Amino acid sequence: MLKFIINNKIVETEKSAGMILLDFIRNEEKLTGTKEACREGECGACSVLIGKLNESGKMEYKTCASCLLPIGDVKDCHIVTVEGLDMPDLTLVQRLIIENSASQCGFCTPGIVLSLTGYCFSSDNFDYEDAITALDGNICRCTGYAAIRNAAKALSDSLLNNKNSDKNKRLELLADMEIVPKYFFDIPEKIKSLKSRCNQDLNDDTAVVAGGTDLFVQKPDKLEDSKLYFMSGRSDLDYIKSDDSNLLIGGAVNLEEFRKSETVNKYFPQMKNIILLHSSTILRNKATIAGNIVNASPIGDMSIILLVLNAALVIECKSRGLREVKLSEFYKGYKKYDLIGCEIIREIKIPKPSQNFYFNFEKVSNRKILDIASVNSAVSIKFDGNNNMEDLKISAGGVAPIPLLLKGFDEFTGKKINSENIKKIAEFSVNQVAPIDDIRGSAKYKKLLLKQLILSHFEKF
Amino acid sequence: MKNTDMRMHVQGKSVFIDDITAPDGLLHAVLFTSPVSKGRLKNIDISKAKTAKGVAAVFTHKDIPGKNQIGHMILDQPMFAFDEVEYIGQPIGMVVADTRKNASKACQLINIDIEKIEPVLDPREAYKKGLIHAQKRVLTNGDVEAAFKNCKYIAEGTIDSGPQEHFYFETQRGLAYPVEDDKIKVCASAQSPGAYQHHVAEILGIPMHKVELEIRRLGGGFGGKESTAVWVAAPALAAKLLNRPVKLALTRNEDIATSGKRHAYSYDYKLGLDAEGKILAFEIFLYQHAGACADISPAVLGRSFLHTSGSYYIPNIKVTAVSCKTNIPPNNAFRGFGVPQGTFSIETAIQHASEIMGINPIEIKKKNLLSDGDFLPYGMRLEKTNARRCWETLDKQTDIAKRIKSVEEYNKNNKNFKRGIAVIPVCFGISFAQSTLNQASALVNIYIDGSVSVSAGAVEMGQGVNSKIQSIAAKTLGIPVNFVHIDTTNTSRIPNASPTSASTGADLNGMAAKTACEELLLRLKKYIAKKTNYYILDEILINDGVVFLKGAKLDFTWKELIAEAYADRTDLSCHSFYATPAIYYDRIKERGRPFAYYSYGTSITEVLVDCVRGTYDIESVDVVHDVGQSLSKEIDKGQIEGGVIQSIGWATIEQIKYGKDGKVLTSANSYKIPDIKFVPKKFNVTLLENSNNPYAVCNSKAVGEPPFIHGLGAYYAILSVLRGIRKDKPFPSLPLTPEKVFMYIRE
Repeated sequence: MLKFIINNKIVETEKSAGMILLDFIRNEEKLTGTKEACREGECGACSVLIGKLNESGKMEYKTCASCLLPIGDVKDCHIVTVEGLDMPDLTLVQRLIIENSASQCGFCTPGIVLSLTGYCFSSDNFDYEDAITALDGNICRCTGYAAIRNAAKALSDSLLNNKNSDKNKRLELLADMEIVPKYFFDIPEKIKSLKSRCNQDLNDDTAVVAGGTDLFVQKPDKLEDSKLYFMSGRSDLDYIKSDDSNLLIGGAVNLEEFRKSETVNKYFPQMKNIILLHSSTILRNKATIAGNIVNASPIGDMSIILLVLNAALVIECKSRGLREVKLSEFYKGYKKYDLIGCEIIREIKIPKPSQNFYFNFEKVSNRKILDIASVNSAVSIKFDGNNNMEDLKISAGGVAPIPLLLKGFDEFTGKKINSENIKKIAEFSVNQVAPIDDIRGSAKYKKLLLKQLILSHFEKF
Repeated sequence: MKNTDMRMHVQGKSVFIDDITAPDGLLHAVLFTSPVSKGRLKNIDISKAKTAKGVAAVFTHKDIPGKNQIGHMILDQPMFAFDEVEYIGQPIGMVVADTRKNASKACQLINIDIEKIEPVLDPREAYKKGLIHAQKRVLTNGDVEAAFKNCKYIAEGTIDSGPQEHFYFETQRGLAYPVEDDKIKVCASAQSPGAYQHHVAEILGIPMHKVELEIRRLGGGFGGKESTAVWVAAPALAAKLLNRPVKLALTRNEDIATSGKRHAYSYDYKLGLDAEGKILAFEIFLYQHAGACADISPAVLGRSFLHTSGSYYIPNIKVTAVSCKTNIPPNNAFRGFGVPQGTFSIETAIQHASEIMGINPIEIKKKNLLSDGDFLPYGMRLEKTNARRCWETLDKQTDIAKRIKSVEEYNKNNKNFKRGIAVIPVCFGISFAQSTLNQASALVNIYIDGSVSVSAGAVEMGQGVNSKIQSIAAKTLGIPVNFVHIDTTNTSRIPNASPTSASTGADLNGMAAKTACEELLLRLKKYIAKKTNYYILDEILINDGVVFLKGAKLDFTWKELIAEAYADRTDLSCHSFYATPAIYYDRIKERGRPFAYYSYGTSITEVLVDCVRGTYDIESVDVVHDVGQSLSKEIDKGQIEGGVIQSIGWATIEQIKYGKDGKVLTSANSYKIPDIKFVPKKFNVTLLENSNNPYAVCNSKAVGEPPFIHGLGAYYAILSVLRGIRKDKPFPSLPLTPEKVFMYIRE
C-alpha cells in the first residue's frame, strides 16, 4: 500500500504505483485546481510541490510536473496542490499575481502559483533570476509573461526585504509572510508516521523509473500496468561526492541537484548554466542523470556532455554484482545500450579535470529553453604544459543513431590550437556524421550547424 | 478594474469543463479519424471495437439522426465521413466507453478500408486545378496598370507565411447531458454559442430550443473554438443516442494533429513607388492554404483581402484572393483573422522596395501612413485616424532614428552578432466583416435583495470581457462592482449570440448590457420620482449605491430602493439588443463601410542575431497602441502584451510541419511557443492618450486582435539582419526559425 500526504490529508491507496499523480489528484481526490494541458511536461499547468523529509528531519520542497510522475515515486512525500495553499486570505504569491494582472484565462495559473511558491523554498538568495528560472517550465499562452515577470519581481523584492534569510528557518519565514499555510509545520511528524509498505524488487520484467520524465511520455499506459522499480527509493544513491580522481554521482541524483552541486561546480563552473538548457525546473527536479543516459536519445544533453568528460558508469546487478563500463562504449545502436533487465546505473564517475583543461558545451534548439536540440556538441581538451593539446574529445548529438563521441583526433596530439587546426578539426568531425531529416531539422542543416558549433567550441582561443 | 476572475484562477477554483463534477454514469467519447489524406471510404469495420472492454457504443455517420453536416459557412463538412475522406485526422466515427483509456484502446481495433487518391497539398497547385472554396475575390481601386507605368521603383516578388497552432491550454472539449423531454444540455469550450447550438440541433435533428449550450469560461480560445463544432457536437450526439452523460476532450496531440490552425498563405506582390517613395500602386494575389473544408476560411480570407493596404494610403490597388482547397485539416480562425497575413503582404513589399531604393523602410512607411480623409481600397473614407499619432508618440518615446543609428553602429563593429530593428504600424478594422454578426443582446436581472445578474452573448476566455461588462453594468446602474455578477453564457438566456471574436466581445455585448442597465435605471428613477413626487429625472442620480435627489443624498440604500420598487411592481429584468449602426458591404462591387472604426498602433522591435549559430534573442519591443478610452487599463495592457508575444511566436519559432502525405508531424514536444525567457527583457506598452472613439461602448476600442500585428516586427527585424548579410536569395518565408536563419546565412 502506498501512503503519502496530499495537502493536509494522509492518503493510503492500493492503486498501481504507475498511476499518474495528476490523475490521482484530479480523479481520486477530486482536486481540480491542478490542470492537465499536455501530459508531456511541456507546459507546467499540472505543477505541484513535492516535499521530502531529509536526513535532518526537515521537509525539502520542489516543484514537479505531476503529469509525468507516478504515485509510486511520491510515497512518503508531501504533495501540495493549489488547494493545499488555502488559508483565510490569499497567499502572497496569489495576491501578487492578481496585483500584477498576471493571469488571463487562468488555466496555467495554478501551476504558476506552485512554481513561484517552489521558488520561495528553493532559491538560496531570492534572486529575481531564480524566480524566472523557477518559471521556465510554466508556459502561458495568454499573458505574454510581462505581467508574470512583474509578479515574480514583486515576490523576489518582498522576500529580499525580509531580514530572515536563514535557510534553516525557511518554513518559518514563508509561513510568516503568508506564502504557505501553518499546517506545513505539522507535516514532518505526519510523514514520519507513514512508512509505506512496498518493497521494490528488480527483475527482468521490471521497468526502472529513474525520474521517468521521458519514460512516461513514451508509454504511460503500459507503465501503469507494469512492475516498477523506483530509483527515488534508492536514497543510498542520492549523493554527489568525490574521491581522489573522480566526481561520483549517485544513480538517483537529479539534474537540478547536479546543477546546483558545489562539488560539480567547483570542477565544472559552467554546469550551473549549461544544465538550464537541458530542461525546465519542474523536470530537472525529477529527471536523473542516469535516466538521461539510459534514455539513450541520440540528442541527450547529458550523454553528450559526459562523453567528453570521459565518464564511466558503475552498473549494479543484485545477482552479478558491480561492473564498470565507459560511457563511450555504452551505446550500441539506436536506443540500444549495454544494460540488461535487472541492471541499474549505480554511479556515474567523472574524472576530475586536470589543471589545463578546457570544456565547452553548445546546443542549438528551436526554442532556447525547454526544447530538444537540433544539434548539440561538447568538447574537452587536456593541454600539456606548453599549451599543446594532449587529449581532444568532441561529442555530437542529433547527427547519428547514438550520442556520438567523435574519433580520430590523435593527429592533433601535441599540436596547438590555431585557425588551421580548428578548421581541420571541424572538417574531420563533420565527415564522421550522417544526420537525417526529421522534426528537429534537415540533415543538411544539422551537418552545417555541427560544423559551426565545433568552430564555436574554439571561439575563445 | 482588473479581471475579477483572477481571484478564482489563483486558487484553482475556476471551473473549466474538466473540473465540472462528473455526473453519475458519465461515459467518455474518443473520435476515430482518417489515416489517409484523400481517398474513398470502402468499409468501416467496428465489430471488434464494439465488444471491447468498457465500450458502450461505436457510432458512425449511419447513427446520426439529423443532418450529417457541420459546415460553418458552406455545407461541405460532414461530421463523420461517409463516402470519402479528405484529410488525415478527419472524424469517421466515435467510440464511447466507461473510461477514456478504454475508448482510446477500442479505436485501435477499428479497421477502415480506404482506397487512396493522390492528395493536393500545395495551395497554388490547388488553385491551378480549380480547387477553391467559395469564389475568387477581386477588388480594384484606381488604375493599377497605368500607375505602374509612372513608378520609378517597382518591387515584385513571391513570399509565404506559415501556419500557427492555437495551443489554447484547454483543448477542444464538451460535456453533454440528456435532460427531460428529449432535451440536451452541453457544457462546451466554444466561442460561438448560437452557431454551435445550431450545429448540435441539426446533427441531432431536433429544434434549437431542445439544445441548451452552457459556457462558463474557456481555457483560451484565440479563434480556434469559433467554427469547428465537431468536438462539441460529438458528445451531444452520444449523449442523445445513449441517454447518458458523455464527455469528449481531445488530448493535446489529437488537438494539434486534427484541429485547424492559422492559415498559411502564399503571396505574389508588386509594389510601385515614385521617386520620393510615395506608393502609387499595389497589386497583390493571396493564396490561402485553407485545407479540406471551407470551415471559416472564406471569412478569414475576406479580412486579409480588406487589409492588404495595411496602414498606408494606396491610390491604385488590385487585390485578388483565393481560398485553396488542400488535403490538410481545415484551418480556421486565429487571433487577427487574416489581418496579420494581409498586413504581411504590404509590409514585405515595402521592405523589398526599400532595398531597391537603398533607404530604410521607415522612410517609405512614414511617407505613406494613413491620415484623415484618405480612402481605403474599398472606398471607406477615414476619420479620427490615429496612425500618425501612434507613430509620433512612439518616436517621441524611443527616438526611432537614433535607435536605428545605434543598431547600424553596432553592426559595423560586430561580425558574429548583428542587431536588427523594425517599425510596424497597425491599422485594424473593427466589426465582423460579415455585417449580420454585428449584433448582441444582454439580459440584466435585479433581484429583490439588490444583487444584479448580467447575462450576455460574450464568452469569457481570459480576455476579461466579463469584467469589462461587469464594470460597465455597475457604472451604468451606479452601484459597486461587487453587486454585479456575470452569469454564464447560456443559449436559453441569450439566443442567437454571435461568436465572441473579431475583438468585438466587449463592444457589442458591453453596449447591449449598457442599454439594458440604462433602461432599468430609468425604471428605477421613475419609481423614485413617483415616491418623492419629484419628476425631473435628470436630477435623480444613483452613485455607488446611494440615491441622490437634486444633489442631496436620499436616506435609502440601493437595497431598499430595489425592495420598494419591486413591491411597487417595477419590472426589474431587462433584455436589450445592440446592432452596430451604419455598416454595410457590397460583395459584388467590393465597396462599403465594413468596419465601424479602426484600431491603430506602432511598435519598434529590436533583435540580436547570433550569425554563427542562427539563433536570436528578441531584445526589446516598445508598443504604442490605441484602445480609445480604456475600459480597463490592466486588461487592455494584458491583451496587448499577450497578443504581441503570441505573434512573435508565429513570426519566429512556431512551426508546423506536414508530411508528404499531409499528416501533421508536429506534436506537443516539437511545437514550441514562447516561454518566459523568450520574452524581450525590455517590453514597454503605452496606451495612446486622449483617444476618443464614439463608435464603441464608453468611447473604448476593441483590443483582442489588433496588437497581434506588432509581432511582425520580429520577422522584419531578423530579416533586416539576414539581408544585411546576403541579398543573393529571395526573402525567406515566415516564420524565421533558427534553422531558417542559419540556412539563409550559411547555405
